[in-house]
Amino acid sequence: MKIWQKTAVGLLFGALVSMGGPALAQDKPTELKIAFPVDVPSWDPTAFTAPPGQSIFKAVFDSPMFVDDNQEAVPRLIKSYRWLDDEGKELELEFRDDVYFHDGSKMTAEDFKFTFDRAIQNKTLSLNGMMATLTSVEVIEPYKAVATFSIASPTVLKYLGFLAAYILPKDYFEKVGEAGFQKQPIGAGPYKLVDYQRGSRITLEAFDKYWQGEPDIKRVIFEIVPDSSARVAAVESGRVDVSAQIPVREVARLEKNPKLEAKVYPYSEIYILQIPSYVDTFQSVHLRRAMQMAIDKQGLSRAFYNNVAKPISLLATKDSPGDVAGFDTPFDRDKAIEELAKAGYSKDKPLKIRLFSSNNTFPSDYDMARAIAQMWSQIGVETTVEEITVAKYLELSHSSKLDGVMLYSWANATGDPEIFTGRILDPRMRFSTWKEPELGDEFDRLNTQMDEEKRLEGYRQLNIKAAENAWSIPVLQSVSTIVHNKDLNVPTYQTGYILPQEYSWK
Amino acid sequence: MTLAFSLFARRLGSMFVTALCLSVVVFIVLRMIPSDPLAMLLPPSATQADIDAVRIELGLNGTIFEQYMVWLGRALQGDLGSSIYFREPVTALLATTLPATLELVLVSLAIALLISIPGGILLYKLEGRKGEMGADFFLVVLLSIPSFLWGIILIIVFGVMFPILPFMGRVDPSFAVPSITGFMLVDALLQGDLRALVDAFSHLILPALALALSFSPIIVRVLRSSLLETATEQYVMTARLRGQSEWNVLLRHMLKNAALPTLTLIGVQFGFLFGGTLLIELIFSFPGIGNLMVQAIKNFDLPLIQGVALVFCLMVLLINFCVDSLYVVLNPRVKTS
Repeated sequence: MKIWQKTAVGLLFGALVSMGGPALAQDKPTELKIAFPVDVPSWDPTAFTAPPGQSIFKAVFDSPMFVDDNQEAVPRLIKSYRWLDDEGKELELEFRDDVYFHDGSKMTAEDFKFTFDRAIQNKTLSLNGMMATLTSVEVIEPYKAVATFSIASPTVLKYLGFLAAYILPKDYFEKVGEAGFQKQPIGAGPYKLVDYQRGSRITLEAFDKYWQGEPDIKRVIFEIVPDSSARVAAVESGRVDVSAQIPVREVARLEKNPKLEAKVYPYSEIYILQIPSYVDTFQSVHLRRAMQMAIDKQGLSRAFYNNVAKPISLLATKDSPGDVAGFDTPFDRDKAIEELAKAGYSKDKPLKIRLFSSNNTFPSDYDMARAIAQMWSQIGVETTVEEITVAKYLELSHSSKLDGVMLYSWANATGDPEIFTGRILDPRMRFSTWKEPELGDEFDRLNTQMDEEKRLEGYRQLNIKAAENAWSIPVLQSVSTIVHNKDLNVPTYQTGYILPQEYSWK
Repeated sequence: MTLAFSLFARRLGSMFVTALCLSVVVFIVLRMIPSDPLAMLLPPSATQADIDAVRIELGLNGTIFEQYMVWLGRALQGDLGSSIYFREPVTALLATTLPATLELVLVSLAIALLISIPGGILLYKLEGRKGEMGADFFLVVLLSIPSFLWGIILIIVFGVMFPILPFMGRVDPSFAVPSITGFMLVDALLQGDLRALVDAFSHLILPALALALSFSPIIVRVLRSSLLETATEQYVMTARLRGQSEWNVLLRHMLKNAALPTLTLIGVQFGFLFGGTLLIELIFSFPGIGNLMVQAIKNFDLPLIQGVALVFCLMVLLINFCVDSLYVVLNPRVKTS
């Protein structure tokens, strides 16, 4: 090709790209692009409890309560609350009178009633499962309602700030119907949804009537990028300002980029090994203890999470209300071998088990499962690692057909032990795999205990008992990663939420 | 033309029968997987009665035959059921995502042809010459790189090292292209928005190229073999004896005949090209049915998996029908027999 031909092709290509390319960056950006790993399944926020999508829901919708960075449930759309009885069955809620939905209508107690009545009636909504004891909501004044529960429900205020508890606009929802709402959802959150391309992009615009004031960043675009390499490329090339859930090994490399800031931080999720009690092999407490003691948790943290993930011995995150300071189930291979011998197995007479793990549901899950299998094999528990989807695991767990151990992650932004231990080990729950019959009554007692100190102390004792019996093996407190443009203020939270409404350009 | 018409009609008829058989296979295979799609739908506090009620509501309680007949009856009316995970009709989900995938596949097919026709000719011309071994080796290397790896390589080179091409989504968010046909290029054209058209096209280049790069080496190989075979034909000798230039013989006589086996191959390989969209759409955040299928599988969304699988099958059948039809039109032997 001659030089003039090359030049012409180059100019044409350059012109095409610049014609099609985004507008040049302004001095003071008003737009923020976030590469995010997951899309929301649908725009009914009361229908899902999947933790990763909550950050998007929190930008568009708002909840009665809010779990802050100290994991305290604080009033949000609720102004105040009080129990009307000593039994914890009647809760009066007073709502703010300055909250607007995106269509300009005011939020009232009727909207709260509509949202939660809908959940009571529809078993397929996740909010139904989250507020299982709620029986009715009565509006007593435009901004006051009384919620009635079938049994004492001391933790309900936490649930009102947790997954799926978002207030929907009654009039709008009834006008457009469920399908119409899914197409054009509105909430009372800081951002309005202006464009949605499923599996690709969510475009939000700041809501000028947001009750906490219009957010600093006027336009937020969530680019849905499921592939982690593409999320790294997106932030590295400057095509996005923030990339969430970057592989930990990439964080160290991106930290050296002068234009970027990379963080690895612990948050309120735990990695645990779920053991099925209905498989005879696992009935031996010695075997379970041996498996527990054989895991070098610190080593796993070092190998896969830059040593930031904290080893845990209880079904609780460090310093959360269910944690017990000083309690530890240390890594001790020799003792593990001794315990395994009591169960009747050794390296010469090994036990063969299966360890299930998802692949890339949380960072380095499958790699960690392989490392654990290796550690177990060293004491005489020959472990085969098998990949499984979360859907398949839930199905096996729900039907009590899990025939091996499962490496699983459990998110709980509230940090409350009822949502850790109370859910993981409740034998009546479909996702508990250790079904200790006596625990049902124990949970009933604790979950209806209105004395907060007694409730938490009860859970701490139960956590110790669970660890000593190794009903479920806690491994690590999870870490989250985020990489962003250095010119952006990005607060991180131990709830793990990505909240663009709290971000600002420097 | 009567013969050609009868061939089309027969092919169309067999396509419908095949589609019906495929629907049975897809339905039965998915039902035989020992998984319960309700696992992701109901909250953990749901009782057995709740599970049974939802199972009846979703039509999952009868025998496989009963379930199939209910599903087929609805499918023939355009109702493929509702997605368990997305809580939307499957047809609505397919309607929004299928055009994106078709656009991607068609552009990648065009790129593959742009690469493989000159590539095939070049390899034919190199036959018995110095560069033949090198070209063959290069082709083997290209053949062994899967499309998803091409995707990652292209992102690193043209997205990060030399950031000249976008690699996320279908169009930059600064463009508002209303969906008329669902095909971004067509919609931008209908709107008369040239900038959006160019931007949408630039978004297609990398994912389409990734698919095309893994597809074109196969076409190159077949085209070269066909050209080599055609080179020994009597009419080629005659053309040469009549004094026509080698390029004239190649482009006017040989290529047209050598194109027929290539065309058949494209039809056969189209299914692989379509299947390749699963990973490519995921890597490039492209909102097509490949991406949708990955979500459906992850969440064991039975009605959606069924719907997408059926669409995949129908697309492959349709393309094969088009290729067969083209074959009839292009092949003088079939036309005159």
